[in-house]
Amino acid sequence: MRCFGRQCRGQGHVFVKLVRHTEQKLLELGEPITTLGQQAQQLLDRATPLSEAQRERFADTFNAAMRSHAHIRKQSQWLTQGKKLSHCKIVNAYDPPIAPIMKGKSNCPTQFGRKTGILSEPTTGFIFANRVPEGNPSDPSYVLPLLAKVQAAIERVRAPRKLRGHSVAGDLGVNDAALRQALHDRGILTVGIPKTVEPMNQAPSPEEIRNILNEAGLNRQRTPHQVHLACASGYSRPVVESHIASLLSRGAGQVRYKGLEGAAVQLGMAVMAHNGAALVRIRQQRLSKRAQKFRRWLGLRRHNVNQINAPEN
Amino acid sequence: MRRLRHLQHWLNGSGPRLQGADVVPKTHSIRRWADTFPWAKLVEAVEQSVASRFPKRSNSGRRPVPTRVLLALELLKHEVGASDEAICERWRTDVAVMYACGLEEVQLASPQDHFVLPETLAQFRSRLDEALRDELVALQAAAAMAEGLVSPAHLLVDTFPSEQGSQRVTDATTLYKAQKKPWRSLQTSRTSAAAKPRPSRVKPTPSTRS
Repeated sequence: MRCFGRQCRGQGHVFVKLVRHTEQKLLELGEPITTLGQQAQQLLDRATPLSEAQRERFADTFNAAMRSHAHIRKQSQWLTQGKKLSHCKIVNAYDPPIAPIMKGKSNCPTQFGRKTGILSEPTTGFIFANRVPEGNPSDPSYVLPLLAKVQAAIERVRAPRKLRGHSVAGDLGVNDAALRQALHDRGILTVGIPKTVEPMNQAPSPEEIRNILNEAGLNRQRTPHQVHLACASGYSRPVVESHIASLLSRGAGQVRYKGLEGAAVQLGMAVMAHNGAALVRIRQQRLSKRAQKFRRWLGLRRHNVNQINAPEN
Repeated sequence: MRRLRHLQHWLNGSGPRLQGADVVPKTHSIRRWADTFPWAKLVEAVEQSVASRFPKRSNSGRRPVPTRVLLALELLKHEVGASDEAICERWRTDVAVMYACGLEEVQLASPQDHFVLPETLAQFRSRLDEALRDELVALQAAAAMAEGLVSPAHLLVDTFPSEQGSQRVTDATTLYKAQKKPWRSLQTSRTSAAAKPRPSRVKPTPSTRS
């Protein structure tokens, strides 16, 4: 694990020094690359036996290689020993999308990795979409792309009734005025996203419900019952933690594959495996009382007693 | 039956054919888990995507390992927390894993040679691009929604950190280690030659043990 930042426990290791020291030699080795690259470009232009498609392909590969070298050079010169790195600064020259994940680490160095976003059902933990972005973007930037993925999934369903998203809940990190407005424009309630650290009211009065609808401008689109459900399924740390814990038990906590693509593959497969397990729990009715109650409110498929109790053979 | 033909070298042995569905109990966790996936749609999506991005140039050579097997192994790997090697090994002997991979019949008396190598699994993984990954998750979600098991009405969004577990061996680290190694070995050889061996660290010979 590569670490940067404040060292409060264990032996302090300054990895930046190591990177700078070793990369210096590589940079010296790669010094003539720019000149050689220009020459190669000229030769490529002159090469007559190549077809247009081949020429284009070679040129793309060549330009990608040149850009990569320029990027490594720039990154290597950015690494500064002994200074705290700013938020979202790219620090690994060989894996540019990797970024410090500054989450819950006040007493130890910042760790490197990916910050995965998930959009799940609050009752069963079924994950509708996941996203592994480059670097460490802000939490509100996850929401709309994830909702677009859910919409793509909804469009595949040929159900008699039309499925739609009614509300989105999140933690205080997702609290963003622009995001709220974007969600309201789509007819999605944001009562599940807190504005302060105060606990949320899970059972609002009719007056409060009216205020919520007026504030969101969704009077004609959302019913008081839907607002009530949205408040009941508001953000709950233990609920989210259980979903994340299930993913972590499937290896999502530690990315073992290479690069951003590898991380996305690993986390995508972990999400699918987790969804399979969630569906098993739903089919067997191994759900919490809260989840069962909520599913009744949503009118989801109920437990078929005869099917379960029927003899196997 | 088509899938069985692909696995001829493994299934050629004599003996009774074992029906996977009969052997694996319905209450088996892997069977229950595997039965939740819309395999046909997932496999179709993968095959279409791969065929469009990696067109087949010739029909010669050995038949490929079925997509269903590779996809199921990749998912099972995360479900049971196994490595590539471990899941490929389990696939050869565990009937529940065979069931999850869609193998309906198993020939008992047969030489169990490798037919899904961990490298094959890694190659398959490298072909799963972003669009295909999103499509697979969407297909699974759509199947669950169509069945009425889940609803997208109220959703919860959150993020969690995933550490980069594997330390990438870069050129820089290799160079650093290469430079450091001879110096270390030289230093250790000098110190070992200069210093006397301590009696407590002397390896006991067979004669002293007896």
